[in-house]
Amino acid sequence: MYIAAEQSQKDIHNAERLEIMLFFSYFKDLVGKEVTVELKNDLAIRGTLHSVDQYLNIKLENTRVVDQDKYPHMLSVRNCFIRGSVVRYVQLPPEGVDVDLLHDATRREARGG
Amino acid sequence: MAPGLRQFTERTGDGAGEPLLDIENGEDLMYVQPGVSIVIGNRSPESEGTVYISTKKVVWLSDVDRTKGYSVDFLSLSLHAVSRDPEAYSSPCIYTQIETGEDGDESEDSDSECNHALDLLKVTEMRLVPSDPGQLDTLFQILCECAELNPEPIKVLAIILHYIDTDSYVFDNVYSDNEEHNWIFSADQLVDETAEGEDSEWNFSQNPSSSIGHSNGDHDLARTVLEVGW
Repeated sequence: MYIAAEQSQKDIHNAERLEIMLFFSYFKDLVGKEVTVELKNDLAIRGTLHSVDQYLNIKLENTRVVDQDKYPHMLSVRNCFIRGSVVRYVQLPPEGVDVDLLHDATRREARGG
Repeated sequence: MAPGLRQFTERTGDGAGEPLLDIENGEDLMYVQPGVSIVIGNRSPESEGTVYISTKKVVWLSDVDRTKGYSVDFLSLSLHAVSRDPEAYSSPCIYTQIETGEDGDESEDSDSECNHALDLLKVTEMRLVPSDPGQLDTLFQILCECAELNPEPIKVLAIILHYIDTDSYVFDNVYSDNEEHNWIFSADQLVDETAEGEDSEWNFSQNPSSSIGHSNGDHDLARTVLEVGW
């Protein structure tokens, strides 16, 4: 019983790792492209994707705040590090999205690899 | 839940001393930067102190008052950046946003200067102002490196691909720190992008206690998500 529970935890963990790695490698291909990162506190920052790590932490360059009236103090920021867990959305340029590849990958994920 | 900004008074050594770190649990001091004042929310800067960056947290200790110090875990640091525009702040600084774990618009609350009791739990912004602005890039880099040492301790992460009208894609990144919210949306739901909104299979009612709108804690965005035409 105990072992089974532990194993299922492990499976969940592995599935997550897979999921994260899928999106991580996906985001890596977007480096250098313009994205908009929306935080869970509603702040939306547009900038050039400088790097992303395996936790989906995001570094942006040449940033600008989308809603400048609401966040005037962020105007001065030109590069920033955003913690992956506070990201709500990342909007991607349409030309940076390979729909077929993503669909294929997500279907495979859904079937459990 | 992220504890946000906290008082920090545990020091070792004589004089101003050093912060007492949790060495037994693997915490390690990575960087020390003297000559830094701290600005909490929209308050005036505190007298000068020293910043200690460890593998777990950022600590600022006053040079003159041993009882005065603050710390914030990397787990609570949502964002950090170098700020150099004098219109945003009079001195070049490291600008940070802090996740408080409270709902609502804390940034407005922290504006209220009339609140003399420093309600650290509500503080959502902190600036570190080094007397030597030449240190900013180094500080930024160290903060990046140490932040990456602190991945989320939580287990459940659902990443959902949305397709909003035709001009952009959106990744939705949902962390949950509650095991019961271990919901996974079938990726097959992502497939039929030609379906027109109303009859969408995208049905959140399977688990009403953790609909995506609630997990975001933001109803405007919940609306945006639900408007997505699958």
